[in-house]
Amino acid sequence: MVSAKKSLVGYAFIAPWLLGFLAFTVYPFLSSLYFSFTRYDIVTAPVWVGGANYRALLTGDPLFWKSLGVTFQFALVAVPLAIVFGVTLALLLNLNLRGMGLYRTIFFLPSILPTVATSVVFLWLFNPAIGLVNRLLHAVGVTGPEWLQSPVWALPSLVILSLWAVGGSMVIYLAGLKDIPTHLYEAATIDGANAWQRLRHVTLPMLSPVIFFNLVMGLIGVFQYFTEPYIMTQGGPEDSTHFYALYIFERAWRYLDMGYASAMAWVLFLLIVTLTGLLFWTQKRWVHYEG
Amino acid sequence: MKANSAILMTGLRVLGAMALVAAIALVLVSRARMLAVVPPAGPARIPVYYWHMWSGQWQPTMEHVVAEFNASQTKYEVIPLQVPYGSADSKFLMSVAGGNPPDVMAQWTQAISTWSQDGVLQPLDTRMTPAEKKFFLNDTYPVIHQNGWYKGHLYGLVTSVDVYACYYRPDQFRSAGLNPDRFPTTLEDLTAVGRKLDLKDGAGRFTRLGFLPSNFTNYAPSFGGGFYDPATGTALLNTSANLRAMTYLVSTSEVLGLDKVRRFNSGLKSQNGASWPFIDGSFSIALDGEWRVKQLAQFAPGLEYRVAPLPPPAGGKPLASFSNTGFLTIPAGAKHSEGAWEFIKFWSGLDHPAKAAKYATWFGWLPTSPQMAQSPDYAAFLGKYPQYKTFVDLAASPNIVTTPPVSYQLFLLDRISAVDDLAARGALTPTQALMKLESDTARERARRKELGYDQ
Repeated sequence: MVSAKKSLVGYAFIAPWLLGFLAFTVYPFLSSLYFSFTRYDIVTAPVWVGGANYRALLTGDPLFWKSLGVTFQFALVAVPLAIVFGVTLALLLNLNLRGMGLYRTIFFLPSILPTVATSVVFLWLFNPAIGLVNRLLHAVGVTGPEWLQSPVWALPSLVILSLWAVGGSMVIYLAGLKDIPTHLYEAATIDGANAWQRLRHVTLPMLSPVIFFNLVMGLIGVFQYFTEPYIMTQGGPEDSTHFYALYIFERAWRYLDMGYASAMAWVLFLLIVTLTGLLFWTQKRWVHYEG
Repeated sequence: MKANSAILMTGLRVLGAMALVAAIALVLVSRARMLAVVPPAGPARIPVYYWHMWSGQWQPTMEHVVAEFNASQTKYEVIPLQVPYGSADSKFLMSVAGGNPPDVMAQWTQAISTWSQDGVLQPLDTRMTPAEKKFFLNDTYPVIHQNGWYKGHLYGLVTSVDVYACYYRPDQFRSAGLNPDRFPTTLEDLTAVGRKLDLKDGAGRFTRLGFLPSNFTNYAPSFGGGFYDPATGTALLNTSANLRAMTYLVSTSEVLGLDKVRRFNSGLKSQNGASWPFIDGSFSIALDGEWRVKQLAQFAPGLEYRVAPLPPPAGGKPLASFSNTGFLTIPAGAKHSEGAWEFIKFWSGLDHPAKAAKYATWFGWLPTSPQMAQSPDYAAFLGKYPQYKTFVDLAASPNIVTTPPVSYQLFLLDRISAVDDLAARGALTPTQALMKLESDTARERARRKELGYDQ
């Protein structure tokens, strides 16, 4: 009886959120599934077209496949690099040095800067003729590439930009490092393990749940990557940065093709669910939970 | 019993709390609705809500036009609301979808046909009196009365027209040994003159380009090209004229070196206002729009420059240009559409062209009819800004090409831009680029046909 009372009180507390969640997440989510089987321009009533949107996507839209390819390429490079940089940075910032709080703040700061502002600054940094990056390269005798204006270099430029905000995940890694019991390092040291062996056999396994969390979140994040290409490249040059989320936006709000965009969103959702499921399936082999 | 009573009391408290939250939400929503619809204090006239995107220095100018309209009225009062340009389309579409749109909406997006097909806009031609229709169809310039139509009805009345002409620097002509009084009369000659004006540094990099033609849509009209076949009502893309235009653009850049051109362009300041590269001398000749005249007067008042129409290539069309147009529209579901139409007529000059000429000069817009062009106000404006004369001639020209009135306008514009980019970078030949444009568009048409859209 007491638990029922507690439950009611609990529901009362979360009611504002729950109502918002039902109205602004669940309802649009399910509506978009219906819209994906319709012709819908948001003004007139949706018209049922069966699987036509999905058929057109899979068989008659090269830009759909192109945008999917671009997003996968980005994910394959940006997510692992973010983990490597994040963990490395966390390890460095976990050292017992004077002024470490300041260093941690400095490396964390970029992750809280507005994405739009960062994107605009990087537009200038990557400018082939007058940008700071190429000027620095020029100073050491290297002719820099055309960065965002080159179909070869535009995607790597965005990968570099994504690493700029790695401080956000670095903080989580740092918290994970602080959580590793000291006695494990002591035992390893007594057993004669050197620094590399302690990293390889103590730190990384104990940090693996945090790495797994950042991997899953990072993967979901890159499949929704939008703001930077929208501001910096608008999908170009030559569609080399035409990300999937950008194409959904164009279809929805530029061409008023909400049904088609909804179908694209559901394909994306299924992809994310599948890939996340795969990651969860693999975690048995490499993620080590305490106890 | 005691336990049951406690649960009952808790349940009642929960319900009470939820009711309180709901009541607060309702009060806030109704308050917000009141704030949204209550007109400002003033004489009891019918409010006409007008959304527009003019900001900065242009907002007071636009509000001045509204004030003039309101001063002329005893029945209607226009209430303007500035909407940020970046989100104007989505806000507008959501307002129509929500059944609470403005009464008048200014439109800069070239999507009148798309939105007309989707039922977003109301037809305007049915509101015209026979006299107004006669004036509109016979006395306004072709670019005015030929745009804004979809399936036989006018959905957007053109109030502003952007056309392109050559700005050139007499000082740089003279320093290169050229006579600025003799501007080239063919595109071939212009291109050759451009090369004489180029400057390079010691490393062979361009420090100035005499003339760099780019942007397929801007050059296709001079070659007799375009993007629409009125006879069939469909997009017409892979034509010999368009191929000549694209080939010209690509070959000109190839002569200069695609890589060198890209690097030169990337080192330029922005294209906006005082940063326009023509001002700092990066280009000797630049094809650009009429709005630069007022910008130059503001940001570079001492700069010596002249304006001439883009000369046609051999076999091409004189006084040709691509044009983006600005519209005034009445959305579907507008509550005060009669007042909206009165305001549109007032501003566009449909009922009084000479009076509307005054407003055009405030913005630096081109006239929409000969009556407007010949009005005292516009004559005085041309006296002050003689460079506008070339643009006025262009606005009156029958060789103006605009966005095709097909229902997939923005898709088509994006695809044209994409293949233009591919060709300019050398990723596709002009022939391949136009074939790709044709096939991409045909695929989209087929998809839309399968979905049951208007063709």
